[in-house]
Parts: sequence; C-alpha cells; structure tokens
Amino acid sequence: MSGGIARGRLAEERKAWRKNHPHGFVAKPETLADGTVNIMVWHCTIPGKQGTEWDGGHYPLTLHFSEDYPSKPPKCRFPQGFFHPNVYPSGTVCLSILNEDSGWRPAITVKQILVGIQDLLDQPNPSDPAQTDGYHLFIQDPVEYKQRVRQQAKQYPQLI
Amino acid sequence: MDSEDDMHDAYDADSLDEDFYSGGTPMGSDDGDADYDFVDNESEDSEDITSHRQQQNYTILNISDIRQHQDEDISRVSTVLSISRVAACVLLRHYKWSVSKVHDEWFADEENVRKAVGLLEKPLEMPHTRELTCGICFESYPRVEMSAAACGHPFCGACWRGYIGTSVTDGPGCLMLRCPDPSCGAAVGEDMINMLTSNDDKEKYSRYLLRSYVEDNRKTKWCPAPGCEFAVEFVMGSGSYDVTCNCSYSFCWNCTEEAHRPVDCATVAKWILKNCAESENMNWILANSKPCPKCKRPIEKNQGCMHITCTPPCKFEFCWLCLGAWSEHGERTGGFYACNRYEAAKQEGAYDESERRREMAKNSLERYTHYYERWATNQSSRQKALADLHSMQVEKLEKLSDRQSQPESQLKFIIESWLQIVECRRVLKWTYAYGYYLPEHEHAKRQFFEYLQGEAEAGLERLHQCAEKELQVYLEAEAPMKDFNDFRTKLAGLTSVTRNYFENLVRALETGLKDVGPSSNQATCSKSSSSKNLVGGKGSKMGKVKVTGTSSRVAGRTTDDGNLWSCEHCTYANPRSLNVCQMCEKHR
Repeated sequence: MSGGIARGRLAEERKAWRKNHPHGFVAKPETLADGTVNIMVWHCTIPGKQGTEWDGGHYPLTLHFSEDYPSKPPKCRFPQGFFHPNVYPSGTVCLSILNEDSGWRPAITVKQILVGIQDLLDQPNPSDPAQTDGYHLFIQDPVEYKQRVRQQAKQYPQLI
Repeated sequence: MDSEDDMHDAYDADSLDEDFYSGGTPMGSDDGDADYDFVDNESEDSEDITSHRQQQNYTILNISDIRQHQDEDISRVSTVLSISRVAACVLLRHYKWSVSKVHDEWFADEENVRKAVGLLEKPLEMPHTRELTCGICFESYPRVEMSAAACGHPFCGACWRGYIGTSVTDGPGCLMLRCPDPSCGAAVGEDMINMLTSNDDKEKYSRYLLRSYVEDNRKTKWCPAPGCEFAVEFVMGSGSYDVTCNCSYSFCWNCTEEAHRPVDCATVAKWILKNCAESENMNWILANSKPCPKCKRPIEKNQGCMHITCTPPCKFEFCWLCLGAWSEHGERTGGFYACNRYEAAKQEGAYDESERRREMAKNSLERYTHYYERWATNQSSRQKALADLHSMQVEKLEKLSDRQSQPESQLKFIIESWLQIVECRRVLKWTYAYGYYLPEHEHAKRQFFEYLQGEAEAGLERLHQCAEKELQVYLEAEAPMKDFNDFRTKLAGLTSVTRNYFENLVRALETGLKDVGPSSNQATCSKSSSSKNLVGGKGSKMGKVKVTGTSSRVAGRTTDDGNLWSCEHCTYANPRSLNVCQMCEKHR
C-alpha cells in the first residue's frame, strides 16, 4: 500500500537530519560490511538530559523500519537488559507514540521519536511498566533507583 | 436464582435514559419480573397468558432496516445540533449510537465534546502557497493535489490513501480516524474516506460503519446463528430475554447463548462452562487418581500391585496405599498387595480427609453425568424434532393433504404440534441444568421440581408419540380415513395440554419455586394423590394448592366450565358426554 514510500521518506528524513538536528544526538543509517547503506535500520545515540541522573550517558538506540513505514512505526531498541521501567528486557522501548494501535501517526519524524525517548528516560511512565527490575526500584526505592541510573550512565560514555 | 433480578436492575438503570429520547415504545414496567407476578394472578384462561407472553419486545432488522435506522439517527442529530451528517455520524459513533447521550453531552459542554471527538468549530484551510510539502513523504506538490481534514494539515493523495488503507486494514478502529499529524486530533470522517481512498477500502469502511451501529449500540445485537445476517433490536426492561430471529434461531438477548428459559443466564453460563471446561476432568482425576508423592503428577492405578513406579524422569517408587517410599516397604509391612502402615493409619483416622474428598468427587461426577446425559438427550431429540418439522413442512404435509383430501390450511395443527415439541425439548433440556444447580438440601423444592418436570416430560412424550407414530397411519393410508378428524382433535388437544404443562413448569422455575415454603413437607405432590381430586373440583385439591400455587389454574379451569371433566391422568378437559379421555384414552 504505502510500502513504496518508506525508502523515499527515510531519505528525506536523513536529508532533513543532516541539515539540522538537536545537539548531542546521533542518527544515521546502518553501513553494511560491504560498504552499502541500509536505510531501513538506523543507529542512533540519545544523550541523557543535563541536570538529570541520566546526564553524561550517551545511550545507543537502534531503529528498525518496516516497508510499511510511515504507516507503521519503527521498532526502537536499546541494548538488551537496558535499565528503565518502560524498556522491555529485550531492549524494546514501550512508548505510546511508538504504538501503532494508539499514539503513532505517520507524520511523526525520527527527530520527534528520539526527543520523545529522551524525555521518557527521566520521566518514566509508571502506569505502563515493561520490566520488573526497573519498575520495582522506581516505585519502592528511589535512592537505589537513582544509583542504578547513574551507574548505567557511566557505562555509556560518549564515543569519539 | 437471584442473579437474574440483578441483571434486570443493572440494565434498567442504564437503559432508562436511552429510552427517554429514542423511545418509540413506552416503558412497560420497571422490572421484568413484575410481568410474571402479574401473569400469576391473572385469570385461568391459558390462551390469554400465552398471547401475553409471546408479545414481542424486540424487532428483527435486516441490513436495509439497519441502514435506515442508522440514517434516521444521523439525520436526527444532524438536524438538532445543526452540524453536518458526517460530523453527526462521528459524534454518534463516539457515544455508541445513543442519540440521547449525544444530545445530553453536547448541550452540557459542547466545547469539550468537540475536543474529545475531533470536530473543529472553525475549519482551517491549507496554507495558500502554490506548492505544499506533504507531512508524510516530505515531497512537495501543487496545492490542488493536496488534501486536508478540517484542521488544514496538508498531505498528498498517495499518503492519504496509504494512511487510510492501513487503518481500514487494521479493523473497525478506522471509524475513529484522526489527522495524520501527531499533535492534531481532527476527525477524519466518511466524506474524506470516500474522497481519498480506493473503492475497496470505501466498501470496507462502510461495512464497519454498519457493523458498528449494531455492535456498539446497546439496543441491538447480531443474531448469533452462523451465517445469519439479521440483527435484533431489543426493548430493555420488558420481560423475557428470549428472542427468535427470522432465521428461526432462538437465543437469549442478554447472554446470546441459545434461548434458555426458564433457567437464568448465570446458571447457563455455569453449566456451559462446566460442560466444556477442564473442571470435569479435574473431578475425574481427583476421583480416580492419586498424585505421585514426589513429582505430584496424577497417577491412575488400573491394575497390578501396590508397588508403583512413577514414569521417568521421576521414577519414584512408592506404596499406592500409604503413599510412602517403597524402600521402607517389603515383606514385613505386608508385601506387594497390602500395607500395614496404611491399615494402621486408617484406623487412627489419618487418611479420612483425602479419602472423603475423593469419594465426594466421585459422587459429584456421577450426579453431573446423570444431569448431563438427560440434558444432551433432550438436545439431540430437539435437533431430531427440528429435522422432522422441516420434512413435515417441505414434503409430508403435501402428501398428507393428498391422502386425506384435506386442504393444507386445515393441517396447520400438525405443524403447531411439532413447533410445540421443539420448544418443549428446549425447555426440558434446560430444566436439567436447573435441576443440577438446585440445592440438594431443599427437599420440598426438589420434590416439587421433579414432580413438575416429570409431568411435563410425560406429557411431551405422549405428544411426541402421537405426532410421530400415530400420524404415520394417515400418511400411509390409501384413501381418506374416517377417524382423521378424531386424530386432529387428539393431537391439537395434546399440543395445548402439553403447552400448559410447560408453561406451569417455566413459570414455577422462573419464580424460583417460591410457592414452596422452605420447610414445607406437604409439597409432595405425588402423581396419584394430586390428580385424583381434580375431577371433584375445588374442595380437597385446595389443600395442596396452597403450596403448589401454580397448579391452581388447572383446577380452576376445569371446574368453572360445567360441561367439561378433567382427566385424572393427563388433565385433559373432555366433554361431559364422553366417558373415555380423548387424550390418553383412559376411563373416567
């Protein structure tokens, strides 16, 4: 149906991103071993917001687009075992705008997705938990929770 | 059987406001049960009761009726609120097609309703530049090739088609479609769909819209019969939930199971769950197996000695009787076929608990099987009767009319008797579910119930016999037979007698057998004693009537008319001139 437009739209997104993108963010299509570019998978980095426990971390995120994009949202994944109440054990992010049955609209851009996920980092949604570890600490032991977040931030330093 | 009343109440509270606006039909009574009480006190004329009970409180709608109702509702809202038909449609869908709810909400807080539904008060136009960028594919197109909902966010034709197509493919959620812009809530209505998408998707969308009118509406439901396309519109708060669709399938409007009067929905749900669920397996396992003491898997011992070895990977060896490890057993504890430890412990009473549980489970399984078998037998009898009714309608009736030189219009009584048989089988079937759940300790109720059930069943068997076997003679006759008219009288009479029996039964069960006092032991209406007095009239019968209430009508009816006598065996009212009952052929 709208499958034909996925690649064209992603090319446009890439162009727009190179022209202008928020500071500290990285988003670029995957380069395969033979040097070709796979525009359907993007490797991104989200910086933790300044002044929060997440500050200092540069969190790697992979976006997997399907041929149905932008009718269907991309799948967004942190590394497996990422510590956050709304991230599944597999690393998949649980966020309303990324759910095709509720918040997704075809006009949402990659930039909006990345900024949305950055917001989610320090503003978890306790009504929609995706992992037990992060959720329980967030609810029951805020001190320990913050400790774990700071520890994780150190695990993801800026790669230059 | 309280739960049915609860259900009535729950529905009534909600349905009141709906009926206020939409109400072509006035509310009959506040409570469905009031109907039955009313009937109970009514005259003895059973015909009257029948017609009253069968008064329809529902309408069967075909596809074009549904469309028409939907159109009317949309027009009504569109006129009253002075909004477009498309907007009215979006509004109605949001409020589950309740015209009154739309009106209430709209006049209470129009601004909020508009926001919730996505109807903008002042439509915005797309920016007035020659070229616009599509918000989805980011390509630029001339303005004329772009479209937008009332919010003015422009998207190109291909992207609209893709957006709508995806949503239509995903299901009825497409009826709540909003603008593709992430921060915009503007509704995308049917006009946009029709303008922007393929014929295929238009058709699907319109089908979802029609289905929504039936499925989201509290007043209507689809007939659950396979392949049936009719919907049923039901007037809330009016008597029985049983509904018969034009496809001839009968179902309960409340729970959409097949029609199950006189049993209430909760009992039916329990019974159906019991029939299909694992619960019976569990009972069987409990009754016939013991869990392995180590891995807890159930083990059935079907032969052999007491030395049990569990299957791999467990392989635990134990004694079937005391469930202790076999390593502690041997010749000195009684050998392979007995267990001293068990015998000793049993005498101390240590094994009583689990043994008793197993015993109870076994009993309850047998009890269930008893009721289930009878339930299932009546079910299949009903299927058979339905098939017979069908063959009667399509071929036999014509043949009979031929052989007996009777116009088919004069043979309706046969069809009526078959319809009655089908209905009775259905009622009888459900009385077994009722019986299963009737508490064991309420002896008076049980006895009364079993008496009514027994009488009804006997009556039905007579009717079934007559309609099936005795009719055969006339079907096979070479020439018209003189006694065909007698047969007519007999079958028609049996039909009406059986109908009476079943109405008594249904009424008694629907009122929870409340005529029987909890401690009243005289409710034992055994066949012989209750019927003997019927001929004599009021007098002695009344002593019983106090407890069995419902049967007073039968007595009253026979005595009021001096020209009739009531048969002691089948209660059929015969003319005085006869000494042999026309129905069961027993002497007066």
